[in-house]
Amino acid sequence: MNILCVCGLGQGTSLILRIHVEAVLKEMGVKAEVDHMDVSSAGGAAADLILTSRELADSLRADGKVKANIAVVNNYFDRQEIRAALESALKRSTAEEG
Amino acid sequence: MEFVQWLANNVFGTPAILLGLIVCLGLLIQRKEANQVVAGTFKAVIGFLIIGAGADVIVGSLNVFQPMWKEVFNLKEEALGSFTGFDAFNGEYGGAVTLALTLGFVLNVLLARFTRLKYIYLTGHMMFWTTMIFAGIIIDAAGDVSYWQLVLFLTVVMGIYWTVQPALTQPFMRKITGGDQIALGHTAASSALVGALLGKWLGNRNNDSEKLKLPKGLEFLRDSNVITALTMGLLFLIGAIVIVLKNTPGAEALVAQAGDQNFIVYSIIQSFKFAGGIAIVLFGVRLFIGEIVPAFHGIATKIVPGARPALDCPVVFPYAPNAVILGFLGAFVGALIWLVVIGNTVAYIFVPTMIVLFFHAATAGVFGNATGGVRGALLGGFMTSTIVAWGQFVMVKYLLPSTIPDTAMWAADSDMFVLGPVIRLLASIFY
Repeated sequence: MNILCVCGLGQGTSLILRIHVEAVLKEMGVKAEVDHMDVSSAGGAAADLILTSRELADSLRADGKVKANIAVVNNYFDRQEIRAALESALKRSTAEEG
Repeated sequence: MEFVQWLANNVFGTPAILLGLIVCLGLLIQRKEANQVVAGTFKAVIGFLIIGAGADVIVGSLNVFQPMWKEVFNLKEEALGSFTGFDAFNGEYGGAVTLALTLGFVLNVLLARFTRLKYIYLTGHMMFWTTMIFAGIIIDAAGDVSYWQLVLFLTVVMGIYWTVQPALTQPFMRKITGGDQIALGHTAASSALVGALLGKWLGNRNNDSEKLKLPKGLEFLRDSNVITALTMGLLFLIGAIVIVLKNTPGAEALVAQAGDQNFIVYSIIQSFKFAGGIAIVLFGVRLFIGEIVPAFHGIATKIVPGARPALDCPVVFPYAPNAVILGFLGAFVGALIWLVVIGNTVAYIFVPTMIVLFFHAATAGVFGNATGGVRGALLGGFMTSTIVAWGQFVMVKYLLPSTIPDTAMWAADSDMFVLGPVIRLLASIFY
């Protein structure tokens, strides 16, 4: 499973999100490739799940080309929120496959 | 002794190798698997080498932008004398910069551990650019400083800056975030502080920006590639039209550069090249910073539990999304005014790099709104463009004209401009 953490520039904020997402995934015992990226590149990148802010999620959705599930994280360093977002996104993707 | 010399030349003096070693060590400390260690190390080295390629593309485009606007303003003076340039400078001093970045972070962690300033600076890309620009100032001021002198000086300066800067912005961060868990770790700090103070003085806190209804569709401004191409495209287009209409020998020489291509088309392509160059640089920085920061984060949380992470400026954006847009609008108007004013008064062509302007002005907008509402946000943005425009002029012309002025035009920003003269003064005292 490929997870992308996305912010406007793909430099600092998305990387901090990636660090926390990796930590949460480890807690959950889920194996995944996590990368961070800017919103332009993310629009064309292959991923199963994109985690980003509400504003950027809106513009990725408006783009229409993005096939990945998009989950919103408001607070990039709140591990509980990240965990909740990951859990519901994982549930959704297994439901789709099943 | 020969081995030491070999080490100095090929490891400490070869930035890509030194960086690879630091990243490899970081990955090993984090107990990553062997394949992750190899992949991470390679990505970091490749990323570092990509930066130089992107910088070349940017400078290629600026080599059209600057003469064009000079001709528009009828400026005769040569822009830059001879200078080292990013590639050569990075080849010679990049190793010292990389090492100072690492040791400066270690000093930041130690200061956080043993003083009351419990902040850990985690904005890796800004750590890289700030150290690089300061190295450019030191070498310009002091000539050929020895490798270890440069590393030591930069380590101390960076370590202190990365500890103190988040502390200075924290009173306002508490107000913005409503908590005390995160800090701002970004070179936008001086613009943000000016925004907050002006907001307090001239603004009206009750007129909060978040009460405004801004039109939808401004979201594309958050996409750095788009805003960079859009604004540079606009400036290249205006400049090109003026040049085509002029009949001076200088204008004709510029048009001749485009060969068979129409000069306006040629200019617009240059603006996209500029945006492309920025994208390349960001891609390279992302690859190597993406390997360093997780290691820094892991080490810091072990040594200084409970320290606040000082984070990249977009952490404040969700607290006042309208202020982000207002700050940017204030800076955009300011940048256009300063381009004309600075061009006509001190004969310098200001390069309004939108990444610098957007992120710094947006942060200043959020800080300005926190103390002065809508007016505070707009003023914060306008003051950002003022600091960046005049700061870029002073830095390129007086602080590092012989080393990396080509880099300072698009990579230097608020705090570097504010602290630059201090760094130069210190460098000339010590060396």
